[in-house]
Amino acid sequence: MLVEYATVLVFIVLGAVTVALMLGLQRWFAPSAPSAVKLSTYECGEVPYGSSWVQFNIRFYVVALIFIIFDVEVALLYPWAVVFQRLGFLAFIEAFIFIVILLAGLAYLWKEGDLEWVRTLQDTPAKKGAK
Amino acid sequence: MFLGNLASLRYFLPEFAVTATILLLVVLHVVTKSPRSTASGFLSLLGVGAAIFLAGVAPAGAGRSIFEGMVAHDGFAVFFKVLTALATLVVIFMSMDSRDLAGRSQAEYYIFLLSTLLGMFLLSSATDIVMLYLALELVSIPSYLLAGYLKGQERSTEAAMKYVVYGATASGVMIYGFSILFGLTGSTQVAEIGRSLAAGKATLPMLLASVMVAVGFGYKIAAVPFHMWSPDVYEGAPTPATAFFSVGPKAAGFAVLVRFYYTVFAAADPGTGLWRLTSAVDWPFLFAALSALTMTVGNLVAVKQSNVKRLLAYSSIAHAGYMLMGFVLLSSAGIEAILFYLVVYLFMNLGAFYVVVLVSNATRGEEISDFTGLGSRAPFAAVALSIFLFALTGIPPFSGFIGKVYLFAEVIHRGVYWLAVVAALNSVVSLYYYTRIVRAMFFEEPKDASAIPVPAVSGALLVLLVAPTLILGVYWEPVARIAADSVRMLAF
Amino acid sequence: MIAPSAYLLLSAILFGIGVVGVVARKNILIILMSVELMLNGVNVAFVAAGSYLGDAAGGVFAFMVMTVAAAEAAVGLALLIALYRLKETVDITELKVLKW
Repeated sequence: MLVEYATVLVFIVLGAVTVALMLGLQRWFAPSAPSAVKLSTYECGEVPYGSSWVQFNIRFYVVALIFIIFDVEVALLYPWAVVFQRLGFLAFIEAFIFIVILLAGLAYLWKEGDLEWVRTLQDTPAKKGAK
Repeated sequence: MFLGNLASLRYFLPEFAVTATILLLVVLHVVTKSPRSTASGFLSLLGVGAAIFLAGVAPAGAGRSIFEGMVAHDGFAVFFKVLTALATLVVIFMSMDSRDLAGRSQAEYYIFLLSTLLGMFLLSSATDIVMLYLALELVSIPSYLLAGYLKGQERSTEAAMKYVVYGATASGVMIYGFSILFGLTGSTQVAEIGRSLAAGKATLPMLLASVMVAVGFGYKIAAVPFHMWSPDVYEGAPTPATAFFSVGPKAAGFAVLVRFYYTVFAAADPGTGLWRLTSAVDWPFLFAALSALTMTVGNLVAVKQSNVKRLLAYSSIAHAGYMLMGFVLLSSAGIEAILFYLVVYLFMNLGAFYVVVLVSNATRGEEISDFTGLGSRAPFAAVALSIFLFALTGIPPFSGFIGKVYLFAEVIHRGVYWLAVVAALNSVVSLYYYTRIVRAMFFEEPKDASAIPVPAVSGALLVLLVAPTLILGVYWEPVARIAADSVRMLAF
Repeated sequence: MIAPSAYLLLSAILFGIGVVGVVARKNILIILMSVELMLNGVNVAFVAAGSYLGDAAGGVFAFMVMTVAAAEAAVGLALLIALYRLKETVDITELKVLKW
């Protein structure tokens, strides 16, 4: 039992050594001459401005929410996949119904326009009532 | 004896009816052009009606454990299914009538309502802690959305946010209790957990588990000190949803409370109609204290309220306290009294909220001052509300009196005199604030004396809610018998 | 081999940190994160108990908890967006339209 874990241990140690070696070697060989420009944050070669703590578009947030829900529902299929062969056809039907219900949710999102990246103002229900 | 998945299907028809309706509503919402049509309301009525029919006439067979022991199909579950579905039916009518919801997308509202109903079905019949947890969350999560349905209104959104924070924390504590029970007994079956606990001696973890589970269930029935969310949510939510919260999830909460504690921490003495404690944990005393605390806090704080919705919220907390009295007695008569009280409470509480909906449709407000002079502005609604309020107080000859008689009689019969005294004092306090509304309606001059129209359909529904409140006050035998039969068929 | 009690201790610590976070923090976002921490503490307890008892039910329960937690978080965060649009704050002590 423990011997099997030795493989994992060797793998971890090898990985750590490789990374340390790479980083250590370049630090050892490369000349070090820091200057203000070199130490600044890389922003596609442009001169950086502002802080990185800026507000993101709310769309990222909504897409992340949608992703979380569907992502975790899929996690429920893992235990099903493990014992699928023993349970037979009935289990297949059951999982199929589960996925169909999820699809209904996806169709609903589509209809609501939550999958569109760019929403025009008249699409947004919240904006309709705004003064 | 457990039934397999396929063999269980024919005992699961009410749940299918509700699920099919939910999916149809989603499809309807996706394919239709105008999301504000009332079609979704009628479809939900149809679905819930079908569920009541299927639950009421489903093939009998008490004590069947279906879906490999996940869910029980017994008289107790059927009773609560019919009760919660009936409440949902009334609430759907109420919602179609409410101006709170007019001008908003309707389909989603009914989807949340029916999802909660499905959760309540499963909650009242769950016999496995996995199913129990899922059912509890299926009740909670759509409830959050119902509470926050008035998007753009600060009150509603704030209420929903508080509901999420309280609800998620309470269910987290509850499930930690479940994990302790699972670790102690190695089973997720409620009955199996009860058997192993009765044999073992581990008292400290058991005490911890029973208290933690009590937090989760106590939050669901809004027992003090886990009630903090309920006044805010009741005030902020759309009024029909408030009516729904105060009856449906509360009833389902009592169902799961009875089923869980009477199986895990107690065992029936055959033939006597009594239960005995199987564990060293004295939970009946814990809940008796909660009961006294709940009704006292609910009634005393209600006295100070000026908003009728919030007042009814505190009154419903107090009623949860009364019903908890039946829970601590360890006798089937006590549970019967809870079941009977829930039936009575369903009609009187929904009725009171329905009048609030009708009045606030016209006055756009729910303060007591909006009810002044209702006796002349809408005489029928005012008389109906008075009947409901007197029934809630427990004054004869209304149904609430009979409900209280059953509870008090059993409390005294089992010798818990102090609890009976506390409850009697509380009833007196409640008379004060209920009559405050009645006085405003009949003896105070309104600012605006124009008549409030009550549409014929609304009037008819009001009659349907008043009738049981009056009839059950004089002829309650059949309902009491059904309650007794349901408790007898409480099988795990 | 790690003793089962170590896992239970870890789960109790995680749960405790979560409870403290819910009670002590004011930012609703952090409160929701603390709730997740509580649920993860529960998950550790379930998986540890399940593997100690050789019962897959513990793992299954953990999966269910994860799913429900995601749904709860999605609803909570969506409501938080709606709230922020109205009030421009995520401080729970600022929620005082409804009081007593």
